[in-house]
Amino acid sequence: MTVEEILFYAMSTVLVGAAVAVITVRNPVHAALALVLAFFATAFHWVMLEAEFLGILLVLVYVGAVMVLFLFVVMMLDINVARMREGFARFLPVGLVVAVGMMGLMAMVVGAGVFRIPGPERAAADHSNTAALGHLLYTEYVYPFEIAAVILLVAIIAAIVLTLRRRPGTLHLDPGRQARVRRNERVRMVKMHSEKQ
Amino acid sequence: MQISAKITLLLTPLLLAVAYTTFAERKIIGYMQIRIGPNRVGPRGFLQPIADALKLLTKEVIVPTNANRYLFLTAPVLAIAPSLAAWAVVPFDDGMAIADINAGLLYILALTSLGVYGIIVAGWASNSRYALLGSLRSAAQIISYEIAMGFALVGVIMAAGSLNLGEIVEAQRGSVYHWFLLPLLPLFLVYFISGVAETNRAPFDVAEGESEIVAGFHVEYSGMAFAVFFLAEYANMILISALTALLFLGGWLSPLEGLLPQAAFALPVIGWVLDGGIHWFLAKTAFFLFLFLWFRATFPRYRYDQIMRLGWKVLIPVTIVWLFLEGVAVAFGLGPWFA
Amino acid sequence: MLENYLPILVFMGIGLLMGILPLALGMVIGPRRPDAAKNSPYECGFEAFEDSRMKFDVRFYLIAILFIIFDLEIAFLFPWAVALDTIGLYGLLAMGLFLGILVIGFIYEWKKGALEWE
Repeated sequence: MTVEEILFYAMSTVLVGAAVAVITVRNPVHAALALVLAFFATAFHWVMLEAEFLGILLVLVYVGAVMVLFLFVVMMLDINVARMREGFARFLPVGLVVAVGMMGLMAMVVGAGVFRIPGPERAAADHSNTAALGHLLYTEYVYPFEIAAVILLVAIIAAIVLTLRRRPGTLHLDPGRQARVRRNERVRMVKMHSEKQ
Repeated sequence: MQISAKITLLLTPLLLAVAYTTFAERKIIGYMQIRIGPNRVGPRGFLQPIADALKLLTKEVIVPTNANRYLFLTAPVLAIAPSLAAWAVVPFDDGMAIADINAGLLYILALTSLGVYGIIVAGWASNSRYALLGSLRSAAQIISYEIAMGFALVGVIMAAGSLNLGEIVEAQRGSVYHWFLLPLLPLFLVYFISGVAETNRAPFDVAEGESEIVAGFHVEYSGMAFAVFFLAEYANMILISALTALLFLGGWLSPLEGLLPQAAFALPVIGWVLDGGIHWFLAKTAFFLFLFLWFRATFPRYRYDQIMRLGWKVLIPVTIVWLFLEGVAVAFGLGPWFA
Repeated sequence: MLENYLPILVFMGIGLLMGILPLALGMVIGPRRPDAAKNSPYECGFEAFEDSRMKFDVRFYLIAILFIIFDLEIAFLFPWAVALDTIGLYGLLAMGLFLGILVIGFIYEWKKGALEWE
């Protein structure tokens, strides 16, 4: 085996192991961290396929941002693990049917002709696929790109509408106003005659 | 085996630099406060960092009873690994980098965004009030400033047209006026301020906030476990300083380039000093590192709402406006910079 | 291209090692004398009376969600900035529109007070 193949199988083992851990470990924080590991292994595979931009982006966006939110949520919620497992036996048949169906579908898709294309040619060392991607994305695919902007806008508005609650009675200071305070708004100089005894 | 030689050559000075930054910090802040700082161990206290390391090594690593044992010990590793791994793409001189990858800047941004894991995991695994509060504050602060940092980096990429750190430096060749410091001045300020906030340094050190939450996320850590967090913080400081030097101050390029006649660079020894090289890069990095220490001696700590306001309401709008202006400047090929 | 990434993989491994090694060394060399007071969480001299993991302000979640959105925006800006030379004015206008739409979102955040910290 070449070094590349050894690395490929090693990382695939890590990926499958981490993915299994995500759904089997009891502690939700451990599960989230296993998912982080799975993302890492996936990023490694993408870089191996010479998709360096997408591989690093996976780490930047999913590990660096999305999983931070996951951890925030999972860490601070008091999830009762025992109660979560109660329905396990009851929902097992349905779950199994869905799982088998999904696996069948995936096998059909992966087995189809689209995936039987030869691997890409090795690019030269100075080939920048970031530039190539940028060149296509902002000219040929500009319409989906702008739609992405609208989707992100909807996401901003939805997040704010759903979560923003003002709590009454908080002691709030506006730092901008604090910084603009002038002396004569706070202190009044009074001229007084000194009193004689 | 060439790789391992290169890595040793990078890692040994880096770790020494980290150790001596702690010493420099105590000395410099000492002199700024008219004290002399540590002066007992070795001549003028120069062996102090080694004594500190030995002391921490022989201290007990306490794992609190109701902490999550494995995650508690994993957290420091998660903190230090990205701050060291980012150094792989930093070029010290023309072509003098361990890995010369095309997506260098993206790689660095991705790795700096991982630094938050060490803090979150430490805070949660400790199962202590102060640790949790510190890690929450710090995590929200780090991710807020990362946005401003990312936007500032986009400005640099627009000007250089590349993600490769070596090419970004080469794009600043010419003279001091060609450095990105001048055309991207607002982005430079935003980048460095965000860098200070990302590393949880004063005046943005509410994560530690020793006067309110004791030591923040690492309150439960002791001995070597604490030392690793400490090393990670200083390695990050040096990394931010080095990146600022590379992205805005032309890295290894000499500030005298284009000012002195060509003949000056041909002189035997003086020419080598005047010409660009690793010494300029190190000098620029040291300057920014000094700023980090100076800030700590000068500025009082920000309040948390002020920190969030600065990040979201000042730095991000500034970068967005500057990106628009820069886009127009690039489109019309303005000036010596964007031509 | 891949040959450039091998050193990075090695370096990441070494980065992990530089964390694990001192930690292991510290645990081996350092003493181990646990006692109840030493191993309890620090609370300024009080007994820790309940689990410290608690629910906290939803604002932290909101910041994390907004961060994801802006991070994606940065992800779109990176390849654009690299390709700016070749895509010219058309690309500039495309990104102008993209950023314009998101600036609307940013203004909405601002006006709604989602960026206030109270």
